[in-house]
Amino acid sequence: MTAVLGRRNATVIALALVGVAIALLVLRLGPGPSPAQAASHREAPLIANDPPADITDFYMFRSTEPAQSDKVDLVMDVIPFEEPSGGPNYYNFDPSVAYTFHVDNNKDGKAEDVSFEFRFTNEIRGAVNSLGLPLAYVGGVPPATGAVIPPITSLDSAGLGLRQHYTITMIKNGHRTVLSPMTDKIAVPSNVGPRTMPDYEALAAQGMYELGGGVRVFAGQRDDPFFIDLGAAFDTLNLRSPATDMLSGFNVNTIALELPASLLTRDHGSPSQTNQPWLGAYASTSRPRVTVLGGHGQGHHGSHFVQVQRLANPLVNELIIGTKDKDRWNTLDPDQESRFLDYYENPRLALALSLVFGAPVPATPRHDLENALLKYGPSDPGYSELLRLNVSSAPGASWPNGRRPADDVPDTAIQVVGGPAFAGAGDGVNVNDKVLPNVFPFLASPWDGRNRVHANP
Amino acid sequence: MVTVAALAATVTLLGGALRGSSSSGALAAGPTTAAESANAVGSGSADTAALVTGLQARLRAEPSDAQGYSLLGLAYEQRARETGDPSWYPRAEGALRRALRLAPGDATATGGLGSLALSRHRFREALILGRRALSLAPASARTYGVIGDALLELGRYEAAFRAFDTMARLKPNAGAYARISYARELSGRPQDAIAAMRLAVEAAGDQPEATAWTRVQLGKLYWSVGDLGPAAREYRAALAAFPGYPYAFDALAQVQAARGHMVLAIDLESRAVDAIPLPQFVSQLGDLYRARGDGAEARRQYELIGVIQRLLVANGVKTDLETALFDLDHGIRPHHALELARRARAERPSIDGDDVLAWALLRTGSCGDALAYSKRALRLGTLDALKLFHRGMIERCLGHADAARAYLSRALALNPHFSIVWSPVAKRALR
Repeated sequence: MTAVLGRRNATVIALALVGVAIALLVLRLGPGPSPAQAASHREAPLIANDPPADITDFYMFRSTEPAQSDKVDLVMDVIPFEEPSGGPNYYNFDPSVAYTFHVDNNKDGKAEDVSFEFRFTNEIRGAVNSLGLPLAYVGGVPPATGAVIPPITSLDSAGLGLRQHYTITMIKNGHRTVLSPMTDKIAVPSNVGPRTMPDYEALAAQGMYELGGGVRVFAGQRDDPFFIDLGAAFDTLNLRSPATDMLSGFNVNTIALELPASLLTRDHGSPSQTNQPWLGAYASTSRPRVTVLGGHGQGHHGSHFVQVQRLANPLVNELIIGTKDKDRWNTLDPDQESRFLDYYENPRLALALSLVFGAPVPATPRHDLENALLKYGPSDPGYSELLRLNVSSAPGASWPNGRRPADDVPDTAIQVVGGPAFAGAGDGVNVNDKVLPNVFPFLASPWDGRNRVHANP
Repeated sequence: MVTVAALAATVTLLGGALRGSSSSGALAAGPTTAAESANAVGSGSADTAALVTGLQARLRAEPSDAQGYSLLGLAYEQRARETGDPSWYPRAEGALRRALRLAPGDATATGGLGSLALSRHRFREALILGRRALSLAPASARTYGVIGDALLELGRYEAAFRAFDTMARLKPNAGAYARISYARELSGRPQDAIAAMRLAVEAAGDQPEATAWTRVQLGKLYWSVGDLGPAAREYRAALAAFPGYPYAFDALAQVQAARGHMVLAIDLESRAVDAIPLPQFVSQLGDLYRARGDGAEARRQYELIGVIQRLLVANGVKTDLETALFDLDHGIRPHHALELARRARAERPSIDGDDVLAWALLRTGSCGDALAYSKRALRLGTLDALKLFHRGMIERCLGHADAARAYLSRALALNPHFSIVWSPVAKRALR
């Protein structure tokens, strides 16, 4: 936070935004599942929460790793707020969800030129299964207990009671190519703790696969790379230095795919050669569509899926799209965004900012927001909410030219929404609580279940 | 300037906070018994309580915040579900009505009143509110859930199933899959119901309560077709995900009783009752005592039922159907129970309303009228052992020996342990 706010203004904005916050909360909260019911009629949950299909962040960027700058990385994080100690099952991808990256490489706004679909299966196995333990992972059991189960040091260790395999399918021009069959790729399990998994990063490294042709893939748990000082903001913008990362100590499940840019660009050119350097992309989760009259096996391998969430640019779902339209917005493809233009042209948040601060925000309709989030350039006739990356720009660019885990989205978002008067504004948290590594998959090792801490509990 | 992203993160955070994390302490002691021995309901309820406190504080500072009251109303409904204490219902109603006074036409508050009406078994009211909420926010998956639930209890199954299909098309998640599963179960397709409920279990992800709820429902589907082992496995998995979950104790008690472990069954059912004294838990506990030959303790439990039902009624819950069934099954004032059943069926013309009325007519000697309602109760082809048993006894009363044997055999073939009280009766009748 470099801009200095008057105390009164800060108070007013905090109160004004509470209403927006609560509107958003309702979506997440729902009335929850029903652990009790008053009498015999069955109260099925009316929850909106769907953690395994909930994408927290999507990143697309040119690799910053030495000698890898001709690569593009696609990363999605799912399952919000993983408490590292959340046993007994910890955190897993959902076998009934299709996790997909969608890429547009001809600037028509339709992200269907190349897609990569990830599907998972569960394998119940090993000592946990044979002993009937209600735990997903065990290891390092002392001999005194009678049952000797060695620590989990490999993705084949006996203590891995639940193992997730996955397959990657590339969809190009409607043609499906299996890049990796179900039998050979294993998702890295949650970081349970040092007795069970004494060298977690060595274990995680085994889940880093080279598919040939310069393609790398990783699926498994990582530290949540998003950072923000939430507690200070809600204490009437009582910001501080150093600030604390509200997401410290929480993990996410990550799917990361790295490819030579030439596999993505329209003309198959590398970053330095391509004449069509623009990529537009989003990540989605889809669930099987089922109907009352549908058959027994309907769902798992049926052809009909419903997109339950999409994510391209950060905060669009949370802060731009109105609550009443969120379900429908999520099911539609990004090139249908013209149906929602009003939310971009008259953002509720910019209105609140101008009312509270009296500072000028750009006039409505906000074509600048449309240009930044929905178009490849002002002359682009279509509207498609995609994360756009110019692969020929330097690897160190920042959102909205692609997005890297290190990009300070809260700062950029307020600068974009607030306009020139808010140049330089931002919160006090500018880096993640864990150092983000500059090697694939670019996210830090997850907190372990035994020794986790929250800097801001 | 942190507020933009702060809002987004708060959303996620409170979603996460409500989700809570399951207690890992129970696991230290080892397998299932540890999970079964954990008495307290898990951390989810503490999170909701904290949310209620936070919202109340915020509303004291900002008393004209309509959306704050909407959210508080929903949080009160959640407390009712978590504690089984019906006094949360009037509080929920108060908060939601206040939200609507501040912001007439608020879709969230309207939908909240709809789900509250469902909890109170006021299904016609729930349908009206659900339709109103839908007109305010036409593409909300949740609202289709409220409408479908209401239609279902009003016996309008085709329309209810259409609403569930729409919900599952808009937003397939645990709630939608669970409803598709229920519709398939009602249609007499338990294996298809199991397939959909498995999807619901997966979609519940790491949420302890949602996992526990969907696993118990999946277990009950296995139970309904007599698969005791898989049923018990799901109930134990529910307890591992959400230690102390009373519905899992109640369901496990049924399995242990079926296996002849009456002491264990009584212990498990007592845990359920201690956590949340719901009428169906107390009733089953009484039945278990009676089956063990402890009539005095059984009567003590039965006497509690009346008190609990009155408490429910005082907080706006309609309980005629449940009271009628309990009274009929325990020989309490059958003619009064028949009147209750008639009233309940008029309010709630579902296959359950038909079935209880049929049973009441039989128990008061009107076997011919009972048959008409029993036919209605089985009109969807539902494979419900209790309803089939009722039909068998009605056919028997009418002197239709072959039909009686057929229905009683079907009930026992589905699940020979379908009822602590009535399974032995069905077996004797077949001798």
